[in-house]
Amino acid sequence: MKEREGKIRLVKVKLKGLKKYFGKVKAVDDISLEINPGEFVVLLGPSGCGKTTLLRCVSGLEVVTTGKVFFDEDDVTYLSPKDRNISMVFQNYAIWPHMTVNNNIGFPLRIKRYSQKEIEKRVNWAAELLGIDNLLDRYPVQLSGGQRQRVAVARAIVMEPKVLLMDEPLSNLDALLRVRMRAEIRKLQENLKVTTIYVTHDQVEAMTMGNRIAVLNQGILQQFGSSEEIYHNPVNTFVAGFIGSPQMNFIEVEIVSQGKELFLKTKGLEVSLLDKYKDKVSKLSGKRKYILGVRPEHIYVSGRAQTDKVAATKGKVYFAELLRSDTVLHLEKEFGFLVVKAPGDLKIKEGKEIEILVDLLRIHLFDKDTGKAIF
Amino acid sequence: MKRQKTPMVLKIKQVITIIIVGLIVIWFLTPLVLITISAFASPSDYYQIDKVIPTHFTLSQFKSLFFELEAWKAILTSIKVAVVTMLLSFVIGLPAGYALSRYIFPGKNFLKLLILATRMFPLMILAIPLLIIFMRMGVSDSIWGTSLAHTAMVLPMIILISSSILSGVSVDYEEAAMIFGLSRIQAFFKITLPLALPGLAASAIFAFIISWNEVFVATILTLTNRTLPAHILKTAMASPDYFKFTGGFIMAIPAMVFIFFVRRHLVTMWGISLK
Ligand SMILES: Nc1ncnc2c1ncn2[C@@H]1O[C@H](COP(=O)(O)OP(=O)(O)OP(=O)(O)O)[C@@H](O)[C@H]1O
Ligand SMILES: [Mg+2]
Repeated sequence: MKEREGKIRLVKVKLKGLKKYFGKVKAVDDISLEINPGEFVVLLGPSGCGKTTLLRCVSGLEVVTTGKVFFDEDDVTYLSPKDRNISMVFQNYAIWPHMTVNNNIGFPLRIKRYSQKEIEKRVNWAAELLGIDNLLDRYPVQLSGGQRQRVAVARAIVMEPKVLLMDEPLSNLDALLRVRMRAEIRKLQENLKVTTIYVTHDQVEAMTMGNRIAVLNQGILQQFGSSEEIYHNPVNTFVAGFIGSPQMNFIEVEIVSQGKELFLKTKGLEVSLLDKYKDKVSKLSGKRKYILGVRPEHIYVSGRAQTDKVAATKGKVYFAELLRSDTVLHLEKEFGFLVVKAPGDLKIKEGKEIEILVDLLRIHLFDKDTGKAIF
Repeated sequence: MKRQKTPMVLKIKQVITIIIVGLIVIWFLTPLVLITISAFASPSDYYQIDKVIPTHFTLSQFKSLFFELEAWKAILTSIKVAVVTMLLSFVIGLPAGYALSRYIFPGKNFLKLLILATRMFPLMILAIPLLIIFMRMGVSDSIWGTSLAHTAMVLPMIILISSSILSGVSVDYEEAAMIFGLSRIQAFFKITLPLALPGLAASAIFAFIISWNEVFVATILTLTNRTLPAHILKTAMASPDYFKFTGGFIMAIPAMVFIFFVRRHLVTMWGISLK
């Protein structure tokens, strides 16, 4: 891949107490974030959680209710979009139907009065990079969805933006193309090293693409961290449940002490706590309700465990989903269904009772009322 | 299961459609054809009772209408008035239509209704006060005066039509342009306007034709600077019938040419049709 010449400016993006209300709807509610220069940050959250609104506040298309937006140390909160030196890939591409691909990509350059030669050079560079150099003379109606999307990306990168914003740019593509474009966009961003905010509601996309992920729900920032952090140490039940597929098992439990040992207990399951968790639990006060969280991939079918720090229990297989690489087992338990992700080579008949092992190192405990993680 | 249509039923449907379309075309074209034929008919043929379709044609009534009765002046005035009306109604109507299409504000629907309500008052009632006001302002019997009155007539339609046309151009196109370095106004002229042009051309025709055809206000507001319909009404009324047809034909021609010219922009532009 060709490198672009010229100096690369890396910009830090800082959001401070950002709020955007539409009447009573709190689309973005008090979000503070610091995005490092050149970082690829993914905004992840369910539909309607305020991702697009947040992105539009950063772009200036939306005027914030309160709060501030900084690019490096410059306050750009009330700067109009054209003066922010940003680029954006819109959710539905928004490439102009009355211009050829060539003119679409070159448009930002012509606005900034680049020389004809420079425009040509850069358009060709961007088009080549995205593999659309043979489509330059076409109009958008003559392109497929994937090709349009590439045009939108090419248009966004010709200008060396300070910040690159992308709003679910892959949502309209088929699965195969999506996987390929993910890799291409990631590689592109690494080459350009431009600070990027990427919106998606697809957790796989988020986990594979972002340096860091900001998880949003109902306009509120839930957690901001690397994909490992978010996967292994979710701060609350929302993040724990939203990340991971199949979803984490949530089981209401009581904390019971027996001598020196502490157990998480419910009918049909008893999980002893390892030392490193005991401190956190013994600090808890008052009579509260707790939720045990354990991911399906951290429950093993007996004989397949990698560790001996496990809690064993039995369950009847109610339903087995045979995916090629895994088998997802739904077990009937006293507290409801327990979902277990087993290796794909395992052939287990529905209706059979099997023994399963819960990995004691990979369990999570949440306060039932607040949803906050205890560990 | 729904029963499939047999080829026979389809065929009958097709025939019925053709008949209906044919009737509509005849309905609209017959007067046009009659006017055209009568406009060129020689007076003797025209008055021959047993001759439905004249066989002798002449240009003499055109000559006298154009030069002796100075219709060429009136045509020029008409074109000027129609063009000024078109421009004025767009200069005022387009921003208003844009605001209605892009922004949500309290009382928006009421405002739309109010705009339409201005068309509620009959012209007969407005004409005399209007003339007095125009005389005081010193714009009576002028191109500007007539244009202003015509603008007031077409403006509500232009506002509502352009608002719906602009609503058809996605805001995203405009916002994308703003991201890539244009102000909102620049984005409107560089992106939204070209995309809305086919539809806007239609409403331009509309404004032009309304002004071109309007008789009542034009007659009352002017004495010397008469538009064509007003001029024909005044002069041709006292003339033989075939003169009236000639006048009618002259009136129809520019409108048809204009429509023909702009029509191309209605259907396709860059291979797309905006709805
Ligand atoms: N212009 C607006 N007026 C009123 N409410 C709005 C407006 N724009 C967004 N909202 C509301 O703000 C909330 C957040 O919307 P937003 O578009 O940011 O969601 P999103 O996270 O991008 O969702 P999706 O994944 O479906 O695109 C929603 O409840 C939405 O209804
Ligand atoms: Mg969105």
